[in-house]
Formats: sequence, structure tokens, C-alpha cells
Amino acid sequence: MKTKRIKLLALPTLVWMGALFVLPMILMLVLSFLTRGTYGQVVYQFTIDNYIRIFDPLYGLIFWDTLVVAVLTTVFSILCGYPLAYYISRLDKSKQQIWLLLVMIPFWINFLVRSYAWVIILRSQGVVNTLLQWLGIIDEPLTLLYNSGSVLVGMVYTLLPFMVLPIYVSLEQMDHRKLEAAYDLGATPLKAFWHVTLPMTKPGVVTGSILVFVSSIGMFVVPDVMGGAKSALIGNVIQNQFLSARDWPFGSALSIVLMLLSMLLILLYFKATQAGEAKEGSA
Amino acid sequence: MKRFKSLMVGVLSAALAFTAVGCSSSSGGDAQVLNIYSWADNFDPDVIADFEQKFNVKVNYDVYGSNEEMLAKIQAGASGYDLIQPSDYMVATMIELGLLEEINKENVPNLKNIVSTFQTPPFDPGNKYSIVYTWGITGIAYNKNYVKEQPTSWNDLWKDEYKGRVILLNDPREVMGMALIKNGFSNSSTNKTELETAFADMKTLMPNVIAFDTDNIKQKMIAEEAWIGSVWSGDAAYIQAENANVDYVIPKEGATIWADTMAIPKGAKNKELAEKFINYLMDPEVSVKNYESIGYSNPNEQAYPLHSEEYRSNKMIFLDPADIARAEWLVDVGETLQEYDRYWTEMKSGR
Repeated sequence: MKTKRIKLLALPTLVWMGALFVLPMILMLVLSFLTRGTYGQVVYQFTIDNYIRIFDPLYGLIFWDTLVVAVLTTVFSILCGYPLAYYISRLDKSKQQIWLLLVMIPFWINFLVRSYAWVIILRSQGVVNTLLQWLGIIDEPLTLLYNSGSVLVGMVYTLLPFMVLPIYVSLEQMDHRKLEAAYDLGATPLKAFWHVTLPMTKPGVVTGSILVFVSSIGMFVVPDVMGGAKSALIGNVIQNQFLSARDWPFGSALSIVLMLLSMLLILLYFKATQAGEAKEGSA
Repeated sequence: MKRFKSLMVGVLSAALAFTAVGCSSSSGGDAQVLNIYSWADNFDPDVIADFEQKFNVKVNYDVYGSNEEMLAKIQAGASGYDLIQPSDYMVATMIELGLLEEINKENVPNLKNIVSTFQTPPFDPGNKYSIVYTWGITGIAYNKNYVKEQPTSWNDLWKDEYKGRVILLNDPREVMGMALIKNGFSNSSTNKTELETAFADMKTLMPNVIAFDTDNIKQKMIAEEAWIGSVWSGDAAYIQAENANVDYVIPKEGATIWADTMAIPKGAKNKELAEKFINYLMDPEVSVKNYESIGYSNPNEQAYPLHSEEYRSNKMIFLDPADIARAEWLVDVGETLQEYDRYWTEMKSGR
């Protein structure tokens, strides 16, 4: 009786997900086995050529480049996000709320607008260069934009909240008595952090990493706006299939492969982190 | 052709469309409705308001950000639109796919006002399905502060002194087309060796490129981030108005000419009203008002003497006939588009 009622409550969401998530997915899978017509229309003729085309070494290299960027983004997000989450979790409750609000406020502003704001800050006549020149630190404007460094800055900036919030939640849920126990037993703050806090907040780091990784692997706006559209990441290649090459079947095939690849990597990541946990548990 | 801006405007106009629907249903509204699907800011709002008043009709104006977006919506069918504005190559594609209605010439007598060359464009000779609305040429915009000698050739973009300062349109056909023209080939070549030559040439240009950009190329030239690059004539006029150091030239090898057109999608409910509107826009006096507001080149020959001195003396809007003669249309390359896309991807992957 009770579960039935709960099921009823979940029904709208299930229908919603079914219509907007599962259906497009099926559509994409079907499309990926169809043929592109001469004028870019979809021809209903079965083929696996779209998948064979992906084995062109060029696309392999692009998948690799995309992975490197996604992994770097995730690592830098942990390095920047963990200390911030840790700091916030140590504040008074009222101050915590202000800080959490500050972390989330950028979400209220359109993501494209925020990326262009970075362009205004970093461009050759931008805020940073003008300030440095005015202070006499540099003579010529520095090239801060349109390279792989600025793409990374943009990606980490955009995705950082996805890392901070889950880590903050697991820091909040941590049992502080265990930390006190560690201190009582003579652990240095560093040791206590390494052996108590870090392992206990691992679920937050894992969740944050997956959110950041998955979001960055399909990203195409940041490389376009902050990288000057000079690099080809897989998200850009897919976008081009729909917006310039008019090759929906190939774009769909690339999307399917990208999805399978990220699912595989997440699975491996889960396995690796769980294996670590099991070892700790038995020790 | 103004993707970013149009995205923003798209959201706004969608919101407005909802309120508009609300209004018309409450007032009963027996007026005929013309549904336009076009680029953002493509009409003077006053010109539309005048049309509504004069013919006692209502105009709905939705916007798209790319030809492909528009194509997808029209192809899906029952879009409800009466007038669309596909670009040149897209007209050819839509004709092939049977997505356009033939325009009834009897309803558009003002067609005779259009410059004769635009009455026989290669993508639709004889204006059976489309009439040129705005047009321009992709030439070289350059900043005189950094580019001391006036460029004459596409070769100038390859000069070492412009390392990291060249900007290009973020469009495979435009960029490959430029490299093809530079090497003496057609901008719509489907010849493998020619494409290979153009691609190899493009690879050597990459160290000079600061960015590929279509939506925001104007800002990058105005803010002097880029010194020189391939820019649409209409955008160049906009840039020069904001930064007087920027000038514009059409290289001696030739360049790509483009146009956005007026066309009627298959199955349009108000075809005659759409034709009435097309004819109205080609009225010389209406077109003067319209084009001076939107700042694009007017294809209406009868309107030339009526334009303001400022508009007429702008060489980026009133392009030199000799330059136009050297310009070449992009035509649909069919299956070769996949090759273009692969070269484009390889170029950007830096390998």
C-alpha cells in the first residue's frame, strides 16, 4: 500500500525522464545506424559506417585530448574545491550559509555570459593586463587567453561548485569525535587529516569528481569562448556534426561512443575507489 | 549569421511570443497573422509596425541562430511559419529537399527593383523560390595601428609579424573557401587534390591564428585583440563605426559572397500575405528605412538614390562593383561536406 503510493508520487518524474531522457537516447541510437543523404538529410538505410569512421586515428586522438582535459579539470577542481569546502565547513553556521550562497550565486547567471566575463577580464586590453600595465609590472600585454591554459581555467571555474558542494556535505556529516580521538591519541593535524578526515570524506570527493568529469568531457562552450575555438575536443566535433557538417548519424555515433566511454571510466573509477575502501576495512 | 546575439534575443522573443498569443486571443483578433522565422535584428521594427498598420495584419517574429537550426525545424514539418530567411547555400539545399514554395511573381512586382545580378544567383537562378534580402562579402578587416601597409592579398594573413593576431570565421566552408581561393581554386571545390592543397596551406596559418569566431568577431577586432582577419563586410562596417582604426579590403584573388534571402516554406498557411510582405520590403522607400536601420547592404537598385550620403559613402555597405565581380558564391558540396568537416577537425586538432 505504502510503496504503491510512493510509486504514484514518483510517476510524474518517471514519465518526464522517459519522455525527455530515454526517448532521445533511443532516437540517437537509431540515428547512429542510419545514413547521411547528399544534402545532409537522414536516409533510412542501415549502416555501421558511422562507427567504422570513428576508428580513424584522428578521432582517437581527439578522444584522448578530451580525456586529458577532463582529468586535469577534475584534479584541479579537487585541489581548489577541497580546501574551500573544508574552510566553509569550519565556519559558524550563519557564515557557512553566506559562503555556500556565494558558491552557488554564479549558477544564477547564464553560463555563456560568465564565460564572456572571463574574456573581458583576461583579454589583452582586459582588466588584468590593464592593471598590471598601470602598476608598471609589465610593458606588453600578456597573452592570457585563447590557449589550453585559459580553457582549463574556464572549465575549473565553471565546474568548481559541483566539487565543492558534495565535499562540503560529507565534511558536514563527518563524525568529529573520531577526529578528536585521533588528536587524543597524539596525531598531528596533518596526520589526522590524512588518516581520518580524508578517508571519511571520500564519498564526497568521488561524487564531485564524477560530476565534474562527466560535465567536462562533453564541454564545447568553454573551449570555443575561452580557447578561441582553436582546439578540437570531442564536444566540439559532435557540435559540428549537427551545426555545420549536417551529419546527424555520425554525430549520434560519436555521442554514443562518448557515453559508453565515460560510463566505462566511471565504472573503473568506482571499482578503484571501492577496492581501496575494502582494503582499509580489512586492515 | 549573428548567433550569440540571436540566442539571447530568441529567449526574449519566445517570452514575448507567449504574451502576444495571450493578447490576441483576448481581443478576438480576426486580423491575419504573418509568422516570420528569421535571424535576430533582421528588420527595422518600425517597418514591421508600418506593415501591420497598413494592411491590418499581425506579424510574429521568431529567430534562429543558424541555418541548420532553421532547417531542422522546417524539416520536422508543420512549423507554422510563412516566411523564412535561409542563406544562399541553404536555399539550394532546401530546394533539393522540396522544402520551399515557388514564389508567385505576380504578387511581387517590386522584384524588378532588385539588382539584376541578384536576380540570377547560382543557388536559385531566376528567383523561383527565393529573393536576396541582405548580402555581403567576406574580405579582410585590419587595424591600421598594427598593419602598416594595406593588405592586398589573402597571403598577407600568413605574414610572420601577425603571429597570434589573425582572426578567422568559425566556419569550415568560409575558412576552407578562403584557402581555396588563395590557391586559385573555387571556394566550393570538390576536388581532392585542391582540398588537400588548401588544407596544407591552412595548417601553416595556424600559428598566426588567435581565434576562430563568428558571433563575437566584432568585439575581438574592436578591442584590438586581433589585428587582421576574415570578416563579413556588414560586420566590418559595424567594427569601423566602433573603432575608426579598422579598415576593410577585398583581396585581389577574390572572396566569398553570401546572402540571406526571403523564402516561403512548403505548406505555409499565409503564402499570399508572405508575398505581400516580400513585395512591401522591396518598395524603394521602405527598403531605405529598413536597411539604414539594420546596417546591411541593400540589393534594391531603385533605392540607391534615396539613401543618405553616410550610407552611400560607406564602402563596406556600398561595395565596389569590381570587387563584387571577383566574388564567388558558396554552393552546396553534397557529400564532400564530410571531407571539409574532417579537414576542419584535423586542422583544429593541431596534428
